[in-house]
Amino acid sequence: MRRSEDIANLPVVKVNNLGIAYETSAGDVLAVRDVSFEIFRGEALGIVGESGCGKSTVAFGMVNYLGRNGKIAHGSIAFQGQSLVGRSPEELRRLRGDQIAMVYQDPMTSLNPVLRIGTQMAEVLITHRGMAKDEARERCVTMLRKVNMPDPELVLQKYPHQISGGQQQRVVIAMAMLNNPALLVMDEPTTALDVTVEATVLDLVDDLRREFDTAIMFISHNLGVIARVCDRVAVMYAGEVVEIASVQELFANPRHPYTQGLIRCVPRLGRSKASSVLYPIPGRVPSPDNQPAGCTFEPRCAYAHESCRAKRVPLRQFQPNHNVRCLFAEEIDASQWTPTEPMTPLVQTSRDAEPILDVDSLKTYYRQASSSPLSLFGLAKPRYLKAVDDVSFSLPKGITLGVVGESGCGKSTLIKTIIGLEELSGGKIEFMSVDLGVKVNKRDMATIRELQMVFQNPNATMNPSYPIGRQLERPLRRFKIVPPSEIRAEVVRLLRAVKLDEHYYDRLPNQLSGGEKQRVGIARAFAGRPDLVLCDEPVSALDVSVQAAVLNLLAEIQQQQGTTLLMIAHDLSVVRFFSDMIAVMYLGQIVEIGPAEAIYAPPYHPYTESLLAAVPIPDPTVEQAHVRLSGNVPSPLDPPSGCRFHTRCPRRHLLPDDGTLCTTTVPPWQDVGDGHRIFCHIPLDQLRAFEPAVKMAQE
Amino acid sequence: MLVKDYMLQHPIMIEPHKRLAEARALLVENEIYYLPVVGDGKRFLGMITPPRLAIPPERMASLDVWEISNYLANLTVEKVMLKARDLPTIGPNATLEQASHLMTKTKIGGLAVLDGQIVLGLITDNHLLVELNNLLGAFEPGWRVTVRIKGKRGDLLRLIRAVTDRGWTIMALGNVRTPKKPDDWDVVLKVVGCTREELVDAIAQLDGQVLRDIRETASYAYVKP
Repeated sequence: MRRSEDIANLPVVKVNNLGIAYETSAGDVLAVRDVSFEIFRGEALGIVGESGCGKSTVAFGMVNYLGRNGKIAHGSIAFQGQSLVGRSPEELRRLRGDQIAMVYQDPMTSLNPVLRIGTQMAEVLITHRGMAKDEARERCVTMLRKVNMPDPELVLQKYPHQISGGQQQRVVIAMAMLNNPALLVMDEPTTALDVTVEATVLDLVDDLRREFDTAIMFISHNLGVIARVCDRVAVMYAGEVVEIASVQELFANPRHPYTQGLIRCVPRLGRSKASSVLYPIPGRVPSPDNQPAGCTFEPRCAYAHESCRAKRVPLRQFQPNHNVRCLFAEEIDASQWTPTEPMTPLVQTSRDAEPILDVDSLKTYYRQASSSPLSLFGLAKPRYLKAVDDVSFSLPKGITLGVVGESGCGKSTLIKTIIGLEELSGGKIEFMSVDLGVKVNKRDMATIRELQMVFQNPNATMNPSYPIGRQLERPLRRFKIVPPSEIRAEVVRLLRAVKLDEHYYDRLPNQLSGGEKQRVGIARAFAGRPDLVLCDEPVSALDVSVQAAVLNLLAEIQQQQGTTLLMIAHDLSVVRFFSDMIAVMYLGQIVEIGPAEAIYAPPYHPYTESLLAAVPIPDPTVEQAHVRLSGNVPSPLDPPSGCRFHTRCPRRHLLPDDGTLCTTTVPPWQDVGDGHRIFCHIPLDQLRAFEPAVKMAQE
Repeated sequence: MLVKDYMLQHPIMIEPHKRLAEARALLVENEIYYLPVVGDGKRFLGMITPPRLAIPPERMASLDVWEISNYLANLTVEKVMLKARDLPTIGPNATLEQASHLMTKTKIGGLAVLDGQIVLGLITDNHLLVELNNLLGAFEPGWRVTVRIKGKRGDLLRLIRAVTDRGWTIMALGNVRTPKKPDDWDVVLKVVGCTREELVDAIAQLDGQVLRDIRETASYAYVKP
């Protein structure tokens, strides 16, 4: 037992009753109200909530980055005992450089694309500390080593675009830590990263916090990430903190209905749509200029009473170190909750149905321009980027196949080739006995109708100047689904099917929220009653409460129409929840395919294991194996010989001679049974003996 | 035990051009005694301690009422701080003993921990006292015994074996030359896993070693398995 509290541990930051307003033509609009919290040395405070809840505004407000029309309306921010409100811009600039550092979602917004990394990193030390060039450089190398950057000297010579996204984020974190800041503000620092890279960056944040005793304000929409790195969590809703407690307490005993709702609407790893239901939170976040007079969550709350509407609810103590902004916190127990409308888990689809899609040795290569002078005369040897290389699977009717893998593994190219947006370079795709070997413009109308797609970003797929009704009419007319006189009725039926009403017929896309737009996207894909729908990250751009509603909707329509779905998603919990079968892709190849429940327990491919060990799980009691992948995904232009995963495989040493076999020979497909196959040299018995990557506490 | 592992990182600091009233507020509100003064880029310039806040009476006596308020209004941190060149400082890789030696030698109980001229942290006499507590296992529940041993080779080992060979655990250990008896050593042990009688008995069997004191700390009550 070690104690040091005898020495007064003062909060690094103390925010009290903070209000941030934006000046608009209609007067000041309070985007953040009555926010109070403190962060101590070496502590990470998570701030979680849906988009538009004011998380980032608080972060920007702390360093007065609010822009011209933003201002601190009331309250105080004390940093190291001194007030930050009312400081001159020059003082704030110095503080930001010396004692406060920030890391944002996209590392490229913090890096200058035309300067070498060494130059921009050293600049921090030269400007803020007046350090000599050589010494500054040496410091940069040491710091890059601390953030586990391979070959730091070389990285200093490079430009930002020459290193991967995960490495860029490491450089930004290293830059932030160079001046040994007392406070580090991280705004969604891992949202743009792959799950494996995310895991290593989160490990890094945890290490740095311990070593430098830095106070961290960690903003994220992802409950799993928060559960992994934070000590305490503040849940924000509509510009207010509605609950604040330690991570363990908040996940075990959430007391605000919004927190409970958030936890209920994320799929837990290991749950499937047949065993559990996601409960979306009805309604949406009120806009800052149109907030209810009473409790801000009251319009969406299942427990709302008359007294909730009367006046604003203050944040009050529920238990020591657990504050909540709800009048009935004592009465509403998350474990006693019952859904307002009964929802039943979906019926598991049989995997023995007739195959609807057969993909055999599919190859999609992109020809690369050669840098050799011979290429001018057409004499250079052509080089190919093998985006999809020798992929085979067959998809029974009515089931959902989830495809997972890091970015660049070829999952998007795979579905683009199936739908005909990319030309296949080899192999065969057969869809209900029709050859799909041609691009979409050469396919007949019936085939196009049977194959539809739901895209990640609904904004990008809708014509902003056409009303919703007209956009939904288009597939109906083109595919001649219904006679022209019945088109409007059919559109209304489709809108109802995706839980939107008739009023949406004449609305324009910009009048819809992200979730509503995605519903329209789904309605459009299902308009022609297709047999196969390909979904490319259909929910990753949506907030968790909306994500739950969209997933439920997709599952429901799929069940009604018996549609087969092929879904790409980077979130392994979502894929596990939604899919009957899962394929794991690495560098253009499938390395493991099988029933969803089989993929999530040993035996599995070492790559699957590392993906599972990396998923952030919204439950601090879950134990995860510490398996981290080193290095980057190799280039698909020149994939490694033998097993493509051998350069990063953490389990290679299990084979004799440290896995020489993996480097020379292509691995065999090992059949585990029930359609579960693993593409690996390691014998099945050894794969079976792996400790499970994720251990649930109660199960 | 190196300074860098036990110092206070990110201490509250102040800039030289700030008014003294602000420095006073920081000291009083945060209940701290040492306030490093830093210039651009956390460069160490000096230190404010509570005595620096007092204005010398002879200085006040020479001013009239109007001059006093003017004098106070213009009093900045820079004008009253102890200058860096007059202050002892320490590096992050120094030992805690070196820090404590420097403190007793200079009679200044707070040292800025510097990397070059940059302030990395602050280590004070209070930190050292906390670590003295931790070193002797003050917060570990168990029997705190003081045994006086002769400074002969193997004596300490015999004492330790007497405890560990019986399957008990030593949670903390400190030994010091006995004051005024430089040939003897006083060994302080924090032992868990036994009853008081068992421990007293075990030490009594050691030839030439004297149990000086035994007490339980942090409400230790051993229950025999």
